[in-house]
Amino acid sequence: MFFCFIGVVIGTLIGVLPGIGPVGAMSLLLPATYKATPLSALIMLAGIYYGAQYGGSTTSILMNIPGEASTVVTCLDGYQMARQGRAGPALGIAAFGSFIAGTIGLIGLMLVAPPLASIALRFGPPEYFSLMCLGLTILIYLASGSAIRAIMMATLGVIIGCVGQDPETGSMRFVFGVPDLLDGIGLAPFVMGLFGISEVFLNIEKRLERRSILETKIRGLLPNWQDWKDSIKSILRGSLLGFFLGILPGGGAVISSFASYAIEKKCSKHPEKFGKGAIEGVAGPESANNAAAEGAFVPLLTLGIPPNVVMALLLGALMIHGITPGPLLISRNPEIFWGIIASMYIGNGLLLILNLPMIGLWVQVLKVPYKVLFPLILLFCLIGAYSINNSTFDVVIMIVFGVLGYLMRKYKYEGAPMVLAFVLGPMLENSLRQSLLLSDGSFMIFFTRPIAAGGMIIAILMLISGIIPQLRKKVKAIPLEEEH
Amino acid sequence: MKMHHRVGSIFWLIIGVYTVISAYRLGIGIFRRPGPGFIFFLASLLLIILSIIDLFIGKPKANRGEEFEPIWLGVRWQKVILVLSGLIAYAYLFDKLGFLLSTFLLMIFLFKAVEPTKWWTSILSSLITILISYCIFNLWLKVPFPTGFLGF
Repeated sequence: MFFCFIGVVIGTLIGVLPGIGPVGAMSLLLPATYKATPLSALIMLAGIYYGAQYGGSTTSILMNIPGEASTVVTCLDGYQMARQGRAGPALGIAAFGSFIAGTIGLIGLMLVAPPLASIALRFGPPEYFSLMCLGLTILIYLASGSAIRAIMMATLGVIIGCVGQDPETGSMRFVFGVPDLLDGIGLAPFVMGLFGISEVFLNIEKRLERRSILETKIRGLLPNWQDWKDSIKSILRGSLLGFFLGILPGGGAVISSFASYAIEKKCSKHPEKFGKGAIEGVAGPESANNAAAEGAFVPLLTLGIPPNVVMALLLGALMIHGITPGPLLISRNPEIFWGIIASMYIGNGLLLILNLPMIGLWVQVLKVPYKVLFPLILLFCLIGAYSINNSTFDVVIMIVFGVLGYLMRKYKYEGAPMVLAFVLGPMLENSLRQSLLLSDGSFMIFFTRPIAAGGMIIAILMLISGIIPQLRKKVKAIPLEEEH
Repeated sequence: MKMHHRVGSIFWLIIGVYTVISAYRLGIGIFRRPGPGFIFFLASLLLIILSIIDLFIGKPKANRGEEFEPIWLGVRWQKVILVLSGLIAYAYLFDKLGFLLSTFLLMIFLFKAVEPTKWWTSILSSLITILISYCIFNLWLKVPFPTGFLGF
């Protein structure tokens, strides 16, 4: 219980403070868990993970700064709600939605894990490849700017993500003679730079006195009847979607929050309200990212396969303690499996208790003047990046991507597709190579297997429906320019 | 066409061309057995094609006669360069001076560089910051920070 509490408090604080993320926080705290029991260590680290999901929504809503990558989407409508004086209902529905989704996710984990694991076992490289392509396409489809530029960023993300030693041939790929690059570019410094450092740069270039942590009173944290009526279906849809997407490799909470936003927009009777303060745009993604956080435990605990970096850290923590997660975990170490389940129930309750009454405290944290806050954010990022491998190189990587992220945002290129593609890149390459090996070089394998074909066809249709209208608009605009 | 839009497209086009050539040299293999450069080749080829499309088709016209949006006007980009310089210097001096001294200097710089702050406020805030961060990260979490040539 103590470790659960510590984990969720630290996780929420990490989520509230933009810059350092759950990966960095878990990396920092990993050595501290060596002296604890395996169960305590896992509970605390897990608490940080889903606590950060909660906390990230606070900064997304109040500051338009996503605390985590999975809360980027919450900025779209959450901040607009805050600007309309509805920060309270936004925060409240995010907390309640997360609680409901977390509970649903836990029930799913308990009841559905074994059969889900057996279905996932049937997925081969072509299915994984097509599902990852679909995931990227959904994100590109959601791009608020140019779809073409979003695809460009996704391709760049794949390139950056595959830097390092080739796992099959051992070739050095784009390491430029730097030994630290053999294992590739770390996710934590990459994300911290692209989002955290760049955000600080963007804020600094404006006058800091005018920089607003949204000056609004947080009133009425309990959503009213209309808010619940508008949100409940979004919460339930987001929970189910998030849970199932969380099982898949790659973005997990990130992709589920984006996918949920897209679905809510499609299902809404008033899609034009999205981006202007639609409560469904907060309820759905917040529920999805929490459910995904629970769903991500399914492949880790039942198959021993981490679907994302956070789960990979947890896998490392378990192995340090001499426990190998997999199909036999439940029978050999039932206390681990059921202990985690129990701690999540407790953790969800603690987070609701922390997030609603203590929002005032978190808001006070955010009200610290930015000229005081930004050096602290930078320091946490620097230490966070350094502590991952005790290497200054990760700090340099973070700074480099901080500059890139800043320039990208100035020139209107989106970072989210790049991040997801970065995470999926190595798995995408691996799946592609294995698929081509299986098919003797034929790309038709992606269209002859049903699940793979389904994923690829949907992805292609989404791309076509997203890009072609844009191209038509732009091509029509050119003659008008030339006339003048 | 917006100037900054062209700058972005050209930049990514150059990156794409460089990557596709490097990927080819790495070895793309054959479809039956893709080589280490295969994924890079495909991705950078796509990047090149999209950069060209983006360059020539570009954004819809907005204000006639306007060559570029003033994204660098009215913002304090000089402060960004200043802070960036501080971070680069910190990364360089971190191992040489050690965590305590380099962080102290960085914190004073950051507190002073962007907005006017009194010296004593900056020094006091920096001292408190490094004390707390040292206690948390070094003493509690056992992160092995470098001590630098001064031995602390």
